[in-house]
Amino acid sequence: MSSLSSSPHCRSYSSAAYPISSSCNYGHHRTAISSISLKQLLPRKVSVQSNTKARPNVVPSEDGAVVAPIENETPSNKLGDGLLSITLPEEFEDTTSFDINKDKSTVSITVVGASGDLAKKKIFPALFALYYEDCLPEHFTIFGYARSKMTDAELRNMISRTLTCRIDKRANCDEKMDQFLNRCFYHSGQYDSQNNFAELDKKLKEHEGGRISNRLFYLSIPPNIFTAAVRCASLSASSANGWTRVIVEKPFGRDSESSAALTNALKQYLEEDQIFRIDHYLGKELVENLSVLRFSNLIFEPLWSRQYIRSVQLIFSEDFGTEGREGIFLSLKYFDNYGIIRDIMQNHLLQILALFAMETPVSLDGEDIRNEKVKVLRSMRPLQLEDVVIGQYKSHTKGGVSYPGYTDDKTVPKDSLTPTFAAASLFIDNARWDGVPFLMKAGKALHTKRAEIRVQFRHVPGNLYNRNFGTDLDQATNELVIRVQPDEAIYLTINNKVPGLGMRLDRSNLNLLYAARYSKEIPDAYERLLLDAVEGERRLFIRSDELASAWALFTPVLKELEEKKIIPEYYPYGSRGPVGAYYLAARHNVRWGDLGLEQ
Amino acid sequence: MTERSNPFSESGKTESSLSITVVGASGDLAKKKIFPALFALFYEDCLPENFTVFGYARTKMTDEELRNMISQTLTCRIDKRENCDDKMDRFLKRCFYHSGQYGSGEHFAELDCKLKEKEEGRLSKRLFYLSIPPNIFVDVVRCASTRASSKNGWTRVIVEKPFGRDSESSGELTRCLKQYLAEDQIFRIDHYLGKELVENLSVLRFSNLIFEPLWSRDYIRNVQFIFSEDFGTEGRGGYFDNYGIIRDIMQNHLLQILALFAMETPVSLDAEDIRNEKVKVLRSMRPLQLENVVVGQYKGHSKSGKTYPAYTDDPTVPKSSLTPTFAAAALFIDNARWDGVPFLMKAGKALHTKRAEIRVQFRHVPGNLFKRNFGTDLDKATNELVLRVQPDEAIYLKINNKVPGLGMRLDRSDLNLLYRARYPREIPDAYERLLLDAIEGERRLFIRSDELDAAWALFTPLLKELEEKKIAPELYPYGSRGPVGSHYLAAKHNVRWGDLSGED
Repeated sequence: MSSLSSSPHCRSYSSAAYPISSSCNYGHHRTAISSISLKQLLPRKVSVQSNTKARPNVVPSEDGAVVAPIENETPSNKLGDGLLSITLPEEFEDTTSFDINKDKSTVSITVVGASGDLAKKKIFPALFALYYEDCLPEHFTIFGYARSKMTDAELRNMISRTLTCRIDKRANCDEKMDQFLNRCFYHSGQYDSQNNFAELDKKLKEHEGGRISNRLFYLSIPPNIFTAAVRCASLSASSANGWTRVIVEKPFGRDSESSAALTNALKQYLEEDQIFRIDHYLGKELVENLSVLRFSNLIFEPLWSRQYIRSVQLIFSEDFGTEGREGIFLSLKYFDNYGIIRDIMQNHLLQILALFAMETPVSLDGEDIRNEKVKVLRSMRPLQLEDVVIGQYKSHTKGGVSYPGYTDDKTVPKDSLTPTFAAASLFIDNARWDGVPFLMKAGKALHTKRAEIRVQFRHVPGNLYNRNFGTDLDQATNELVIRVQPDEAIYLTINNKVPGLGMRLDRSNLNLLYAARYSKEIPDAYERLLLDAVEGERRLFIRSDELASAWALFTPVLKELEEKKIIPEYYPYGSRGPVGAYYLAARHNVRWGDLGLEQ
Repeated sequence: MTERSNPFSESGKTESSLSITVVGASGDLAKKKIFPALFALFYEDCLPENFTVFGYARTKMTDEELRNMISQTLTCRIDKRENCDDKMDRFLKRCFYHSGQYGSGEHFAELDCKLKEKEEGRLSKRLFYLSIPPNIFVDVVRCASTRASSKNGWTRVIVEKPFGRDSESSGELTRCLKQYLAEDQIFRIDHYLGKELVENLSVLRFSNLIFEPLWSRDYIRNVQFIFSEDFGTEGRGGYFDNYGIIRDIMQNHLLQILALFAMETPVSLDAEDIRNEKVKVLRSMRPLQLENVVVGQYKGHSKSGKTYPAYTDDPTVPKSSLTPTFAAAALFIDNARWDGVPFLMKAGKALHTKRAEIRVQFRHVPGNLFKRNFGTDLDKATNELVLRVQPDEAIYLKINNKVPGLGMRLDRSDLNLLYRARYPREIPDAYERLLLDAIEGERRLFIRSDELDAAWALFTPLLKELEEKKIAPELYPYGSRGPVGSHYLAAKHNVRWGDLSGED
């Protein structure tokens, strides 16, 4: 492997591209360079704490403020390591107009809804992984907030059961785990009680110990209490001198109106740049790689248009029904109210589509990328009913095992018409993509578990080999497949000569299997997204106008489906989904790549 | 070109008869390549019902002795060993020997009688494979043509390189051959064209949408054709010293691959259409300039106690020989598609590795978004398509990819197709394909006279200049990576050799 980056950091975007750096190893001077935008907010003469081991001397800052150790109650704050110093002024020529207060800041991450499933299974483990990888700042505190009564020790006990270390770095796992747990605290309170949040604020302040306080709230709670929690957090527990950011998870409403209402409510208390709407699919490794593939390889970009691409397919399938859902608000009751289109298509698949189809952004900055994504969404035709096929799984018995139908579930109304499967064709009416069908398919209780992007290229015009092989070759088109999960891979299906004396062609793959190429464990999407939120990197979060555009595409058809009470096509549990999906593809003269004979 | 497992099934199954005469049957090539290839074709049922194989040489030998000699080099396909002995016996029974002088019309007339006997009045198709030194090509062709031609079927002659040593001698040879043979009877073999991945080159280009749009100066920075052997002449430098690596490898094998690579889309896959396009490429090329060539010769080298001889240590090579055993060259095609794109060639003996490959290096990404984050390195990390012809046939495409993890680091990864993993079947030897093509009259992989002329026209001025000026080759140690001059040559055109980048 010849790495193109020499940086040892978790992140190696330079500060030019990312004003707020993504460098993980806090304390290295990269971080300092990158924290300019924070410091602009700060009062002068705040002292600096640093663990810059290379410069252990305490040095007066330019205006003479001598740094003194700050009392700190956090047990894990090892003073020996965090020896206070001021970085040499000449190292930061462009920042000397501000006081050099790097690392005088602290991050508090409050998980609201700490006792929920998502928090236990995803958020706390992701935070620990970040800690393990040295990607969290030197000084950080984690607070769990929920209604249940719990002590700190009980929370730690709860968390510790789901923490795991990277497979490849098991060495001092227990020790690291203990250090991490020592930074975790619990505060019990109502989600809509300003008083309770004010108490939290007091505790947070204690831990912050006078440092610049940066606060991140992760709302892992049902959507109906989003606004209440945001109001309380914002009014009673905002940071006074640093930033306050709020991560919210889907659902962001259930149509244009409710989504806009939610956005409006959030905006009463938060600025746009404080809201981090998470779409964890955007944090997946191969979705991140999509832009790298396109923009850092010469060979793909020329092909990336209607001239060469016949169709693009975004496929998501789960091999289980609603029975095993994780997350408190991803329960059945939640699902039945939303359905697969809202649950998967309108957010995850549409986001990937926008990333895939966008024009080249001016830079990789969050705003530049999101601007381009919004342009794609606004160029799209709202979805038409005739371009949608919906399905619902029914019970099925195979090999003596009986699998339940969707409506067999106790929490689902017997007459529910909620789709557990949907296929749709979307169109982007711009110069690049006019006429290219973007097919989406998402379903539960299907025969396989996978998420992938399939780019089907056009047939070779005037194919020389057609004469010898009849018309088949026009169907043997090239295909680029990006398998997001499981078993991350990229492969390009090409036509190749079968070795031998004859001239027979077949399809072979040019392969890149991640498991074979990269031995390192691929981080969970939540790790990346949490880190981005801590660092203020907004590239992978959904902006309000993006969200509004996304809903505008889906709301009319969702309403129509509900008003007309369109009955979903039933498909057996564990099958390939309703056959209607084939006819939808056929109408646009394409074939699903995932259900070919080759798969 | 459909599956041709039984191309003779329809007409003339029993009415026609094929005779293959290997002229120079006692030679090395015949023993190691031609007879085994014929047997492999027989084994795969690719030969017609009635066929006879004749060995012809000056040595006195009985049929039995020939069979005995052949049988030592026959092998069965790895994947089909079952009735191997049985098949071998049946094949050997079809092999006969005739002893004669290469310049004797009478001896060929005797052969004609024997062939007639075996043909038993069937329509006779005769293929002569000339596995003999070039100085007797014309004699044999004269005798075979005037005394042993087929009367009612076809007569074809396969000739192997060298086809002369410059434009004049090659033109002379062609003229002489044409006294006795029509163009469509001459099958000039270039066994590199029979290699699986060279065959696949056109398939890749013309049956995949994704490659053709990239196949031009707009996207390709340079193309490299690399041939290296990890052994020297090892006592057999007699022939080689008269020719040198440029004539032995570049002017034919590498140039042929280049022409196939760079040609415009032919009207069809018919041989004449493809060869027309190849000739157009060759005629669009600038004759090679001395300043675009680096020549080298290997010298002796001792490594871990073992001593490897220099080229001039070979007893069959003159001590003062300046014959290049290594050459690198930059060629240019001055047409609309390829203007300004360097086509680099490199061929050498006694190098550190044995390989033959085609490397297509793409341009850098214009305005690369990721460059800001990574400095200028990314412009060097261009995409590259590699077709490894031998050993271990493979196709791979080097792409830039994100290293999985929280950061944003890029690296180069391969999109891979390893033939061994994908196709467990044994890949046929180039000679099998070419013999079968000659039998079937498929001329796609053989070199036409005008193609040969055009190829010599590119190299002859340079070869003359090298010899007249007595350019001394750069010496390189046996088993090394070749003379450093080749790096400077690449640098002059602002490219890098893909095979010495340290990644492979």
